Amino acid sequence: MKKILFLLIFNMFFYNLKAQENPVLSEGTPLQGMRGKTLNLPDISALGNIVGYISDDSKDADKNQLSINEVEIAFQGYIYPEMRADIITAIHKHDGDYESEICEAKASFLNLGYGFSAEAGKIHIDFGKVNKLHTHHLPTTDKPLMLEKFFGEHELAGQGAVLKYLIPIFPFYSQIQAGFWDINAHSHAQEEASVLDITGSTITVNSLLHDDSSFSPSDKVYTARWNSSFDMNGQKEIEIGLSGLKGRGAHYQEHKDNVEMIGADITFKWFPDSYKKWTFQNEWMRLKRDIPVGTLNRDGFYSFLNYRADKYWDYGVRLDYSENAWPQISYERSFSAIITRHLTETSYWRITGKHRNINGKNISEGWFQLSFGIGPHSHELE
Amino acid sequence: MKILSLSLFLFLSIPSYAKINIIASSQDLKSIAEYVGGEEVSVESLSPGGFDIHFIEPRPSMVFKLKKADMVVKIGLDLDMWTDSLINAAKNEKIFYGKEGYVDASAGIDIMQKPDKKIDGSSGDIHIFGNPHYWLNPENGKIIAKNIKLGLLRIKPEKKEYFEKRYSDFCRKIDDKMKVWKSDMSAFAGEKIITYHNSWIYFAQAFDLQVAANIEPKPGIPPNANHLSFLFELIKKEKIKIILVDNFYSLNTPKEIANKTGARLIVIPSSVAGENSASDYFSLFDVIIKKIKD
Repeated sequence: MKKILFLLIFNMFFYNLKAQENPVLSEGTPLQGMRGKTLNLPDISALGNIVGYISDDSKDADKNQLSINEVEIAFQGYIYPEMRADIITAIHKHDGDYESEICEAKASFLNLGYGFSAEAGKIHIDFGKVNKLHTHHLPTTDKPLMLEKFFGEHELAGQGAVLKYLIPIFPFYSQIQAGFWDINAHSHAQEEASVLDITGSTITVNSLLHDDSSFSPSDKVYTARWNSSFDMNGQKEIEIGLSGLKGRGAHYQEHKDNVEMIGADITFKWFPDSYKKWTFQNEWMRLKRDIPVGTLNRDGFYSFLNYRADKYWDYGVRLDYSENAWPQISYERSFSAIITRHLTETSYWRITGKHRNINGKNISEGWFQLSFGIGPHSHELE
Repeated sequence: MKILSLSLFLFLSIPSYAKINIIASSQDLKSIAEYVGGEEVSVESLSPGGFDIHFIEPRPSMVFKLKKADMVVKIGLDLDMWTDSLINAAKNEKIFYGKEGYVDASAGIDIMQKPDKKIDGSSGDIHIFGNPHYWLNPENGKIIAKNIKLGLLRIKPEKKEYFEKRYSDFCRKIDDKMKVWKSDMSAFAGEKIITYHNSWIYFAQAFDLQVAANIEPKPGIPPNANHLSFLFELIKKEKIKIILVDNFYSLNTPKEIANKTGARLIVIPSSVAGENSASDYFSLFDVIIKKIKD
């Protein structure tokens, strides 16, 4: 293991030194992240996400509101030949208040040689097909249900590193990657209660609270993913992926739970002409929690069908099913219909209607979303 | 021992006979690279013919193609910005920015419509480095060919004579064809035209046309009623006879304009393989000019 690590680090420096010593100058358009010219500024961009939400659930405190849900500020640029840095900060609306956080801050080693690359820092973990995407890149207003149940409100993001390898021996695209992460544990919300002890005296104790959205893997987490893609006549493509994760639960101190997850995804894309596009994306995940009193197995999946009719309009439907992550099992099914109108390459508005069935209780919801971008903003291939 | 020596000889010999594997971001660049590289290259395009290059979606299978490439040829000027993420994902050290196999075909082009003031979303999907549809002036084809030739010489300098000759032949053929094309287009010299997107200014530059307006009020923004009224008046006032539309755009609005004004709607490919008869860079202009003449 040490030898492999040494070789990787050696290669990293060797390749970068070679790039520095033997430059072949190329004129032409600077890459994204190489703008700014003599000012030596990184690419700076801001993205906003305004969301209006209605619901027929009388207990929903967030309904009938229109508010800015998220603002993302990104600084992106190259720090060395074939090394780039991306710092993406975000201000989210969370339980009615705004909280700022480092969404991602990473250095990417694009070429370690022999098909290897790596990223280090705080990163959206490449688990499954959607978790890596930022909110404004999602083809739907909300995340698939199972991601909320298994990863919590935000994307699963950790501090750590991932090593990627593009497999050269297959006659098609195939990449494997492995990552190790440190993910902050959740703090339990606590409520004080007065109870009688065995002597009949009144004492005050803390009781633990949790809700479905607060579970996620945490602590030392190890992930792996394999994904491949098969080109069919240049205008159709099938992408498949398998993901795995091992770690602890976000409330390990209280629940002593070890967590394993597996996921599988398959996506079919068809580009019949310049603007038309069909996407059929399906993803399944299983969460396994080993807790002192037994093992919990929980499943979730979604199926998303989207049709891009022209360069401006997208029409999609998504079916979701997910069980919760807690000992007392509950389930939720939902059906969403989504219409998106693209304004420019980075801005769009979207209307979503959603019908949810939560343990037999039916709720109808609607969203209006306006997502906009200012300035040059780029993400790696997603 | 003899077998070992023979195997070693063959193994060492392979690279010098292997074709240079070029991945181009468009069919136009593919066609020019095939001409300049001749038998020494095999070329593939990431864009199918007849697709709007702005809207090509980068896909993993494209990463696989770039992984095996010796050279990548980009349009540049942010038109094919999607190639950047593909190149990074391919982890192929030969084609990273600034490496010997990286060719930006726009280098040295006299770029038109470079923004001279602050631009933002109010200008539509405008390109910050200028109008990127430069391959539609055949004279610029020679500069593209030169950039590709320089890339080939970096990879296979021993074939200098071959590539120089192919490049000279290409330029000579452009010059010869330009005489014919200009003669064919002489009847339209100085004429004002309407185009759907702002993609024909280099073509207009080459053949002495004037783009009076676009059907899109701003790049990437769909036409609205006010803009259509403006176009109806402009076409009548300026007696504009030609509406040029790339064949991947919706024809509903152009047809409406043509019907109301009497201007002739000409639907044309704006890149090689945009239709079957536009099979290479030269026949692309043959097809465009024939359709305008007819």
